[in-house]
Amino acid sequence: MARYQVTVDGKEFDITLEYRSEQFVASVNGRNYTVTQTPLSEGRSLLLIDNESLEVDVHSHNGSGERHVFMAGIEILTTIEDYAVAQMRKAAGISHVTMDDVLKAPMPGLVLDIKVHQGDKVTKGQPLVVVEAMKMENIIKAKQAGAVKAIRVQAGASVEKGDILLEFEK
Amino acid sequence: MTTPIRKLLIANRGEIAVRIIRACRDMGIKSVAVYSDADAAAFHVRLADEVYNIGPAPSNQSYLVHDRIIDAAKRSGTQAIHPGYGFLAENAAFAKRCEDEGLIFIGPKSKTIALLGDKLAARATALKAGLPLIPGSDIDSANLVSALKTAKSIGFPVLVKAAAGGGGKGMRVVTSEELFEESLKSAANEAKSAFGDSRVYLEKYLPKPRHIEMQILCDQHGNCLYLGERECSIQRRHQKVIEESPSPLVTPEFRARMGKAAVDIARGSGYVGAGTVEFLVDEDKSFYFLEVNTRLQVEHPVTEMVTGIDLVKEQIAIAEGKKLSLAQSDIQIRGHAIECRIYAEDPDNGFMPSTGTLKSYVIPAGPGIRVDSGVVVGSEIPIYYDPMIAKLIAWGKDRVEATSRMKRALEEYHVSGVESTIGFHRVIMDNEKFVAGELSTRFLEEEYPENVYRLLTDELRERAALAVAIDKYSRERKITAGQSGNHGDAAARSNWKLTYRRAGLRQFGGSR
Repeated sequence: MARYQVTVDGKEFDITLEYRSEQFVASVNGRNYTVTQTPLSEGRSLLLIDNESLEVDVHSHNGSGERHVFMAGIEILTTIEDYAVAQMRKAAGISHVTMDDVLKAPMPGLVLDIKVHQGDKVTKGQPLVVVEAMKMENIIKAKQAGAVKAIRVQAGASVEKGDILLEFEK
Repeated sequence: MTTPIRKLLIANRGEIAVRIIRACRDMGIKSVAVYSDADAAAFHVRLADEVYNIGPAPSNQSYLVHDRIIDAAKRSGTQAIHPGYGFLAENAAFAKRCEDEGLIFIGPKSKTIALLGDKLAARATALKAGLPLIPGSDIDSANLVSALKTAKSIGFPVLVKAAAGGGGKGMRVVTSEELFEESLKSAANEAKSAFGDSRVYLEKYLPKPRHIEMQILCDQHGNCLYLGERECSIQRRHQKVIEESPSPLVTPEFRARMGKAAVDIARGSGYVGAGTVEFLVDEDKSFYFLEVNTRLQVEHPVTEMVTGIDLVKEQIAIAEGKKLSLAQSDIQIRGHAIECRIYAEDPDNGFMPSTGTLKSYVIPAGPGIRVDSGVVVGSEIPIYYDPMIAKLIAWGKDRVEATSRMKRALEEYHVSGVESTIGFHRVIMDNEKFVAGELSTRFLEEEYPENVYRLLTDELRERAALAVAIDKYSRERKITAGQSGNHGDAAARSNWKLTYRRAGLRQFGGSR
């Protein structure tokens, strides 16, 4: 048996899994499901959740608990931890294994504008940095609320994909 | 006199290059693709009969370099060049170069492209041909006093537009007199830097227009047809994302009037080839000339689906000097078609482009579905070009059937590795105003003022969480079909693994 905590878009799911006679018996926040998994290709599988069919891709990201899920035509960012680890982390007062304690450039481009200052509190969806790429201005917005700890680039700088633009308070 | 084309070079990439190669195959014409270093293994390169590298990834060092394209054409011995859309498609200098080199440019004559590409000259041509124009005027941006006087006579809000413009560059909406000077200057500066031409003009700002355009086909013998309209009102950043034909607004009588206007400007400009005359339609159903696109449009498939006419084949036949084989009375609109542009973009993050590798890619099929895709599984989505990866087109006997088929196809479409606009389109297909056909170019900003499309539902969140948990469990405990495991490994002796192996054996044994 395994117990995980999965966070999707700020919402936490407490999941227990047991693998029994070729099936997973799952409990998700207290709701029970029986799931069979058929791998299709690397990262991609067919899940039958109580006989409901779902094709899904799960890709991990730089070895952390971060997972990118592709289903229903969208990409969903999630994090997964062992439940016990999540409980210890919470008891220690660490808010979250954040995937967003830094803001990385999602693409190579030119930094046109930085819309925040060090120390600013930002809300989800607030514009942070404007990057020009593919001949378009792209406004990078906050994926969650937080405070800006440091600004790592200047307007006019060229950035590569994955370069750190901002740091947030943990 | 006709000149049969036996070999044709496609000066483009992505789905439109694939589309043109397919037409060449249908006509028995050898296709020649060109590609930049970033596209060495691209889908269009795989499909073409011959391929030529034309330089580094940035388009200004490859797809936009006239010499490189002409050189590839000469080396391959092609007779004609199809520019697709974008890149060199509306570049009069390139069309002229082809004419001078004795190559057939698939499109209108270079002087027609030059005439209609200049918005002020196009307006004058439209006026002469009797088309209704949005009230507006040519201005001298250096003479603020007279420009302001003109703006006041048109009445605020007024739109400042660049004469050489396109894609919303050099365009400003000015709501009041106080903001006029600043907007005028910044529009002129932007136009200067984007197009090397600071000329701007003024137009009355229409608060809630619909974008409706008319497809035309003109041969070299003075015959000109209109093939019905497309409504392209759903736009983001002045770029179309969903198009359909016919427009839910347009009646046969309206179509005939708009079609006649389109044919009139085509004749007035000596137009040859396929083209699109764009109009804005006011809330009182008056239409006004906007511009002429002297090329094949991205959204041409919706017209093909409802008319049964292959526009690329028609373009090539016209370039060969053939007469149009159809008369206006032969053009019948049958059923309804909708196109969703599939971009590698994040809709909930301001449609930010997403780059990377397509890890999985399953395209939909079935009754009424057409997918014009420029990528396959494993394709890289490079940063250098437009992030559109495919167009999904649904046809039905009416708009309701087309919409339900589109929804079905969007559910079948599976993309991973990059973000896509598939989920966004699913939301729009269910939007009440969309379903009712109540469209305008402000549709997205009015319906989704926060730019949030609420793609994530509670059910999807829960499903995603469960999928992630099962993925982690399977990886850590090596539950993978066909995995033989490591003999002697302590974990291999665990009960679950033995159980799984037995299951695997049963599975493989039973499948034969």
